[in-house]
Amino acid sequence: MFKYILQNAGNTNWMAILALVLFFAVFLFSIVWVITRKKDYVEKISRLPLED
Amino acid sequence: MTQVEHFHYDNAIVKKFAFATMLWGIVGMTVGLWIALELVFPALNFDLPWLSFGRLRPLHTNAVIFAFVGNGIFMGVYYSLQRLMKARMFSDLLSNIHFWGWQLIIVSAALTLPFGFTTSGEYAELVWPIDIAITLIWVVFGINMFGTIIKRREEHLYVAVWFYIATWITVAVLHIVRNLEIPTSALHSYGIFAGVQEALVQWWYGHNAVAFFLTTPYLGLMYYFLPKAANRPVYSYRLSIIHFWALIFIYIWAGPHHLLYTSLPDWAQSLGMVFSLMLIAPSWGGMLNGLLTLRGAWDRVREDPILKFMVVAVTAYGMSTFEGPMMSIKSFNAITHYSDWTIAHVHIGALGWNGMLTFGILYWLLPRIFDTKLHSVKLANTHFWLGTLGIIFYAIPLYWAAIVQNLMWRAFTPDGFLVYPNFLETVTQIVPMYGIRVIGGALYITGVVVGIYNLLKTAGSGKLVANEAASAPAFPTKHVAEGKEHWHRWIERRPMQLLIGSLIVVLIGGMVEMFPMWWVDDNVPKIESVKPYTPLELQGRDLYVREGCVGCHSQMVRPFRFETERYGEYSKSGEFIYDRPFLWGSKRTGPDLAREGIGKLKKSDSWHYSHLIDPTSTSPGSIMPAYPWLAEDDLDVSSTASKIKVLRQLGTPYDSGYETIANDDLAAQAQRIAKSLKGEGIEQAGIEKKEIVAVIAYLQRLGVDITVQTQAAK
Repeated sequence: MFKYILQNAGNTNWMAILALVLFFAVFLFSIVWVITRKKDYVEKISRLPLED
Repeated sequence: MTQVEHFHYDNAIVKKFAFATMLWGIVGMTVGLWIALELVFPALNFDLPWLSFGRLRPLHTNAVIFAFVGNGIFMGVYYSLQRLMKARMFSDLLSNIHFWGWQLIIVSAALTLPFGFTTSGEYAELVWPIDIAITLIWVVFGINMFGTIIKRREEHLYVAVWFYIATWITVAVLHIVRNLEIPTSALHSYGIFAGVQEALVQWWYGHNAVAFFLTTPYLGLMYYFLPKAANRPVYSYRLSIIHFWALIFIYIWAGPHHLLYTSLPDWAQSLGMVFSLMLIAPSWGGMLNGLLTLRGAWDRVREDPILKFMVVAVTAYGMSTFEGPMMSIKSFNAITHYSDWTIAHVHIGALGWNGMLTFGILYWLLPRIFDTKLHSVKLANTHFWLGTLGIIFYAIPLYWAAIVQNLMWRAFTPDGFLVYPNFLETVTQIVPMYGIRVIGGALYITGVVVGIYNLLKTAGSGKLVANEAASAPAFPTKHVAEGKEHWHRWIERRPMQLLIGSLIVVLIGGMVEMFPMWWVDDNVPKIESVKPYTPLELQGRDLYVREGCVGCHSQMVRPFRFETERYGEYSKSGEFIYDRPFLWGSKRTGPDLAREGIGKLKKSDSWHYSHLIDPTSTSPGSIMPAYPWLAEDDLDVSSTASKIKVLRQLGTPYDSGYETIANDDLAAQAQRIAKSLKGEGIEQAGIEKKEIVAVIAYLQRLGVDITVQTQAAK
C-alpha cells in the first residue's frame, strides 16, 4: 500500500529512500563511534556532571 | 597555561522556576482531582459552564504538561546547563522574559480554556494569540540557551545538553506545524488541515508532545541529576549516545498509533505501529542506563528519599515505555483505545516519570541553592510513599475499568445481539473504579502538599545564593586534536551542527509520514454526498468544540462488528474533508456520536433538548454534565460571515458571497427546529435564537451524508 501510494505520488520516492539511508547511517555511525572511543575519553565526558 | 576565569551561576532564575513548578503542580493536579470527582459525582459540575468537565479537562492536561512539567524542565535546564557549560546564562534579561512570559502564557490559558476558548486539538487547545506568544517565548528560551552554549568554558557538550537541544528544535517545529491556522476573530481560528490530514498532524504533534516535552528534556535531566544524586557517573555514556540518536529518530514516527483502526490509511497506521514497537529498544536502553547508574549504591536508595523518587521515576519510565509499544499493537489497541487504559497509561508517565523525577530534583536542588539542609527527611519519605501508593491506586482501578468496559462493549448474545446495547450500562458499571481512582489521585496530591510544605520549610531555613561563585579555565581558543579527529567528536563540540543534525533526523519522520497524506489525493477518497455544514450546523459544531464534548465522545466508528452493531456504518476518511477541527476524539466516556443523526441512534429534537438540559432526564444514571446555559444564551451569529469566508479560503466549497446571506439560511433552519421542538411539546419563547438549537442541528447532521449516498446508490 505504502509503495503503491509513493509510486503514484511520483516525487516522494526520494523521501523513503533518504529516510532509509539516513536511518542506517545514523545508527551505524553512532554505534561505530561509541565502540571505537577510548575508555579514558568516555570516562572524562561521563564525569562532567560531577565537576562543579 | 590556560587562565582561570571567575564567574557566577544564576540561581535566582532556578528558584523562580522551582517555585512556579510547585505552584502549577498543585493547581494542575487539583483541577485533575476535581474532574475525576465530577465523573463520580456529576453534581460537582454545578451546572456552571466554566466548571463543566469538558472545559476543565484541557485545563488539567495543559496545566500539568506545560505549567508543571514545563516549569520543571526550565528549572532543571537553567540549573544544569550553567554547570555543564561552566558559564552563567547568556542573558539575565532573557531568563526573566522567559520566566514571566511563560507564566503569562499559563495564566492566559487558565483564563481562556474554562471559558470555552479552545481549538480542541489535544494539548494544542490554546487559541491563536497564545500560540504566537508561545512561539516568541520559545525563541527567547532558544536564544538564551544557545547563547549560553556558545559562550561556554567546557569544550564538550554532555549528553544532557543534546537532549535539551533536540527538545528545543523539535518542540518549535511541532508547535508551528500543528498550529497553522487562519483567525476568524480575536480568539477563534480554523486550522489549515482538515479531517484525516489534521488527525495525522494532530497525533504527530500530540505523541511528540509526550516525546519531546515530557520525555527528552526529562531524560536530559535524568542524565544530569541522577548521577549527581547518586554521586557517580552514568552507567554507560556510550549507551546514552545510542539512546539519544535512536530515540529522537524513532519517536517522531510513532504518532499514528493514536489512530489505529480509524480512517487513517493503513500504510500510515502500520508505519506508526512498527516504529512504536521499535521504541522499546532505545527507551529501555535509557531506563536501564538510569537504573544501572545506581549499581553498587542500592544501599543508599534505602536511606535517601531523593534516590527513591528517582528510582520510581525511572521505573515508571520503563513501565510506560513498555506499555506504550504494546498498546501500539493493533489487536491490543482495539481493547485499550477509547478506554480508561489510555488514562492509566499517561498517568504512569505523568505521575510516575515526570512527577517523581520533578520532586526528586526539587529535593536535591532547593537545599543547594538555599545553602541549607532538607527540612525533614521523614516528611520526604512520607511524600514518597503517598506518591507511590497514589500512583498504584490511581492506575489499577482504571486498567480494571478498561478491561471490564471493553468486554462489555464487545459482548454478544448467542443470537448475535449486543449484550449491553445501552452504552450507559457499561459506564455505570465502572463508576466505582472511578471512585477508587479519586482516592489514588487524592493520595498523590496529599503527598505533593506534604512535599511542598517540606520544600518551603527548607527554603525558609536557608538563604538563596542568588549568584553562586564558580571558576573554570577559559574556553580553549584553538582545539588541539588528539590524533585523527572523529566526526562525532566534531559534532559534539558544535551545538549548531548538533541542532541541525537533530532537526534533520526528526524532520525525516514527519515528512515521510505526512507529505504523502497532504499531496496524494488517493489517500482520502472523496464521497460525493459529503457536503459542507450549513451555517447553523457550523455554529453548533463550534459550540460542541467550545464545550469540549470531544473529551468524552468520539466520532469515529472502527470497523469492528461490535462497533458497527452499536453505532452503524464504520467511518470513512472522505466523511471528514470539511471537518475543521476533526473531532474523532480519543476517549469514550460517553458513546460515539458519528452516527448520532441516522439509523437506530437518531433521536428527536426534543430528546436532544431535554438531554442537554438534564442528561439524567432521558438517561437515568448518566454522568454527563448538564448544559442549561445552551437554552438560555443567544447564539452569536455575528461570527458566521467571517467563519464562512475563512473556510472558503481553506477550500470548503461555499459559494462566493454566501457569507452575506448565510445568516438567513441559519435563521430559517433554526425556525424549523424551533417548530419541531414546539410540536414535540417543548415550549420556550424565542428558542430559535438560542445556542441549543444550533447544537441540535449539528447533532442531527452527524452521519447523515453517508445515508444520502446509500440511498443514491440504491
